[in-house]
Amino acid sequence: MKRVLNCTLVAIAAMLTASVALAHHSFAMFDQSKTVTIQGTVKDFRWNNPHVFIQIMVKNDAGVDEEWSIEMTSPEHLARVGWKPGTLKPGDKITLNIHPMHDGTKGGQYLSGIGPDGQPLIGAPQPSQGQVK
Amino acid sequence: MIPLRPAIIAAIALGCAATLGAQTRMPDWSGQWEIVGATPNASGGMVQPLDEVLKTMQWQPPNNPQTQATVNLFHGFIQKYVDAVRSGTDPGGISGPTCTFGFPAVMLDSPLMFEVLPTPKETVLIFSGREVRHVYTDGRQHTPKDDLWATPWGDSIGHWEGETLVVDTIAVKAPFRNIPPGMIPIFAIGAEIEEEVITILSPQAQFIERIRMPDKDHLEDQMTVIDPTNLTAPWHLSRTYRRVAHIHRMVYEDCEGEDRNPVVNGHYTLTPPPSSPPPPLPPTPKSPEGHSR
Repeated sequence: MKRVLNCTLVAIAAMLTASVALAHHSFAMFDQSKTVTIQGTVKDFRWNNPHVFIQIMVKNDAGVDEEWSIEMTSPEHLARVGWKPGTLKPGDKITLNIHPMHDGTKGGQYLSGIGPDGQPLIGAPQPSQGQVK
Repeated sequence: MIPLRPAIIAAIALGCAATLGAQTRMPDWSGQWEIVGATPNASGGMVQPLDEVLKTMQWQPPNNPQTQATVNLFHGFIQKYVDAVRSGTDPGGISGPTCTFGFPAVMLDSPLMFEVLPTPKETVLIFSGREVRHVYTDGRQHTPKDDLWATPWGDSIGHWEGETLVVDTIAVKAPFRNIPPGMIPIFAIGAEIEEEVITILSPQAQFIERIRMPDKDHLEDQMTVIDPTNLTAPWHLSRTYRRVAHIHRMVYEDCEGEDRNPVVNGHYTLTPPPSSPPPPLPPTPKSPEGHSR
């Protein structure tokens, strides 16, 4: 009986790790309880597997530019909803809604955004609930 | 009166021609397909919340009591994990990067697009995560037991009934690392971090699919899961796939690309982008004089 229980617990632990693997990795590193809005200038739009990144320069409270890494889904998923490698270009002024990193790293999980033309980025609702950074 | 012998020869010839025609006239299922009801969003999650996924995707397996008890245990662990993440903590829970869904998940709940290439002797399903299903329709039987081992995609044979591809798959195992042999977990995936274990199938599970094109913009897979070890009855599911709207070629997922999420102390992290281009290749040796290519 004990052996059966042990096996089940091992299986549960394994299952738990497997479950987060389905989406390549867990998003637990991003604080899902917080939404932050950042405004800045695109430095680079890195159209790479396994995840696309928006590198954006954001001014901190002292007015100094800091580089943030905003993680999106894969190029395959983005392409299917209309994104392209040239959707964002260096120099674009944009606003992004993100879940920030837990550990204070300048980065986060992309949620939605406003493009340089003032329109919502593809398939994204307008940022509204976040605290402007 | 019709002479008997020529008539028989003619009938055989017609029969052969009809049979040959049925084998070589393949349906055109070209293009890229994506599942209806599990749409990925730009954030790395799904558009649909889990409640909606559970309702619309027929996730009601006839689990036997033992299977359901195990599913409930998993549910408890997953719920604890999800609650922790929602409340703003990082509980860890790490598995190495993988793009592999395996069968049947790749048909039932995968956000990956795919192509289908029917040929007379084999139909191939190619997924953007570089998973491939081979369905042999050349009349062969399943691989003999003494030469068969379980894989994440199983052993598939099939035949055509008109323009419906009937597929029979056995010898499936879970593709995930660390899953004990004998367990094939089936997940339902919802928006963001929502995930649920629906059932756990045994290695004896058999899968019968009927794949057809109900109209020019949709494919349909009617699947029956037969698993007397873990289910009380055959489990019937149906999935619809639509044409991908914005891109008309296959693009691949690659978990090993520019991966900026290394695991540190049991938790995923985020690294800065590579700061400089890769070093240039060393110069190639010059060819001997007078020798050119």
